[in-house]
Amino acid sequence: MDNGTSNSASENETITLKSCDGIEFHIDARIANRYTLLNNWNGGESACIPNVNGKVLEKVLEWCEHHINDPQLNCGDDDSRRRNTIIEEWDENFLSCDQDMLFEIILAANYLEIKPLLDLGCKTVANMMKSKSPEEIRSAFNIDNDYTPEEEEQFRKENEWAEDY
Amino acid sequence: MNAPNEIFLEIFNNLRASHRSLFSCLLVNRRWCINIVPILWSEPRYYDRRLIRTCLLSLNAEEQALFIPFKIMLPNEPKPLFEYTSYITSINYYLNDGIKNWLKYEGCKVPEDAVKYSLIAMFLRTSKKLKYLTTFNYDDIAELLIDVLYKNTAIITLNLNGNQLDKAKALAEALSWF
Repeated sequence: MDNGTSNSASENETITLKSCDGIEFHIDARIANRYTLLNNWNGGESACIPNVNGKVLEKVLEWCEHHINDPQLNCGDDDSRRRNTIIEEWDENFLSCDQDMLFEIILAANYLEIKPLLDLGCKTVANMMKSKSPEEIRSAFNIDNDYTPEEEEQFRKENEWAEDY
Repeated sequence: MNAPNEIFLEIFNNLRASHRSLFSCLLVNRRWCINIVPILWSEPRYYDRRLIRTCLLSLNAEEQALFIPFKIMLPNEPKPLFEYTSYITSINYYLNDGIKNWLKYEGCKVPEDAVKYSLIAMFLRTSKKLKYLTTFNYDDIAELLIDVLYKNTAIITLNLNGNQLDKAKALAEALSWF
C-alpha cells in the first residue's frame, strides 16, 4: 500500500548502509526512499554513513523500520508537530534507553534529517525536565552550575514571574 | 549533554507552554539561560506584578522621567542582566492587570495610565519583534504608536480599545505604511 509517499521501491528490495565504524545494515529500500539523506547515500552498493556508529545506526534504523507505514508529515507543518505532545507507547519504550544513547539518537536524527525521530527525542528530553528544580535538572543531566551566586539570584528575581505557571 | 544549540532550541521549544519548566531550566547554567530567555520572554505573563517589576527596571531615563510628577518609587535594583523586552512578540490586555497588581503591592496611589504609558514607550523602543499589540485607552499612546509605526517595525496587528476615531484612522494609515 502506498501511503501517499513517493515510494517506488517494492517491499523486498533491500539496500546496504555502512556505519562510520564499518558495520553493515541491509535495510528495506522504502526506508531509504523516505528520508532524503539516507536516499542520497544508497546510490552505491554499500553506502557509508559518516558520523553515526553502528550501535546508534542500528537504533535509528529500528525506529525507521517500525514507522515505515506512518503517513508522511507536511514539512512546513511545524506547529502541528509541536502541539502533539503525546508519545506512543512503542516510541516511549524505544527511547527509554540510557541518556547517552538518547542524545546520540537525537544527534543522528538531526544529522540524517529524520525529522519525526528528532522531534520525538527532543520531546522525550523535554518531558524529563518538566516539574524539576534547577538542581534536579543539573543532577539528572550531569551539568555544572557556572553561575556566580549573585548572578543566579539576580536571574531568579528577574524571571520569578514565570515560576508559578 | 554536548548538543549543538539548534538541538537545545528544539528541546526547549517543547516547554513553551510551561513557564515554570522554562524558569527551572533557565537557572541551570549560563548556556541554557541564553537559549531560554528568548522563548520565555516571547509571550510573558503580563498580569504578574513581578514581571512589571522587571520591565520597570528596563526603563531609560526619559521613560522614568514620566513618573516624576507622581513620585512613584521605582524598584531600586541593578539594570536587568538581559534586554528581556527585546524578545517580546505580543502585548495584551493583561498588562493593565499586572500594573494594577504592582501598584497595589507597592502601595502606590497613582494613575495606572502613567505607568502604562512609560512601559509601552519602553516596549515600543526595545521590542523589535513585537507583532501584536492590544491595549485599552489608546488615546494617550496614539502619538507614540504612530511615530513607531512609520519607522521600521514588526507590528502587524493592533487591537485598540478607545473612542477617538481620528486617531484610529491615523493609526490604521500608519499600520498600512509598509
